[in-house]
Amino acid sequence: MNNTMEITVNGHKETVPGSSTLSALIHHFKEYDGDLIVEHNGRFIYPQKYADVTVREGDTIEFINPNIGG
Amino acid sequence: MTILSSEEAVRYSRQLILPEIGPQGQIKLKQARVLIAGMGGLGSVSAYYMAAAGIGSLRIADGDCVEAGNLNRQILHGTGDIGKPKTLSALEKLRNLNPDCDIESIQKLISAETILDMVADCTVILDGTDNLKTRKVLNRASILKGIPFIYGGVDGFTGMVSTFIPGRTPCLECLFSRDKGQNEPIGIIGPVPGVIASIQSLEAIKLILGIGGLLTNNLLVFNGMDMTFRKIEMEKNPDCPVCGLNADIGLFIQPSKEALR
Repeated sequence: MNNTMEITVNGHKETVPGSSTLSALIHHFKEYDGDLIVEHNGRFIYPQKYADVTVREGDTIEFINPNIGG
Repeated sequence: MTILSSEEAVRYSRQLILPEIGPQGQIKLKQARVLIAGMGGLGSVSAYYMAAAGIGSLRIADGDCVEAGNLNRQILHGTGDIGKPKTLSALEKLRNLNPDCDIESIQKLISAETILDMVADCTVILDGTDNLKTRKVLNRASILKGIPFIYGGVDGFTGMVSTFIPGRTPCLECLFSRDKGQNEPIGIIGPVPGVIASIQSLEAIKLILGIGGLLTNNLLVFNGMDMTFRKIEMEKNPDCPVCGLNADIGLFIQPSKEALR
């Protein structure tokens, strides 16, 4: 079994531990800003689901700052 | 029965010839009342387009006065307006643009105490604010009164838009439930709020007319550096403190400082 996988994070190819949850990836990329919103394969994921969502080979993740200026 | 005058037929001729609008659509715009919350970078642009499109009644709200540092992006205001209440500066420009538009200006901070009067009888709420705390006030009033709320926000070269319809779509606080507060001014280049507020304005027009696809259940993300638009699908958050399964209606009536953080 392959212990790593390639995914796209914020537009860049990244090699990460295989079958990581979103929680694990947030930890892996040190994205600790609690205001961040997370997009997984074009869908918005709520914080309470981070531990339940498993990321697969080839998936796309975006860590996005809410835009609150005007 | 509302009818269009011959002057209106000329003024709006280029949109009246659109089959999606026509005289019936123009009358819907004339009968609408839009709240534009904030006369800054976003509100400057959306107020211009709402007045220009022939929205019958505009209510514009802001508690600030014009400062020199606003002028790189807040295109309703000019150098001669520095020190003037923003709603007064805006009123002068909008009346000049379209004297037939009934404009009510409210020079007050938007807060839990003032918002219910501001949204009364409005067809739609357009977000022109510059912080999450005030947006939460707008969001709660939107849900309480069942008025659609068109969120727009900017940061540097990026911006976001989403249209929230109470009872049918997620709400602002489904998305942005957390807020660490804001200490530093946010960098903004003028065309970005121009793009975002233009999209908000188009959403408002389509929503009033009942045409086209809206940015409901989607967050539109604009990146002005690489010139991309992306839509992120979203659904209602069952844990949302405002519209979720265990939402507390008491939060709406008098949002506490803690709840609005």
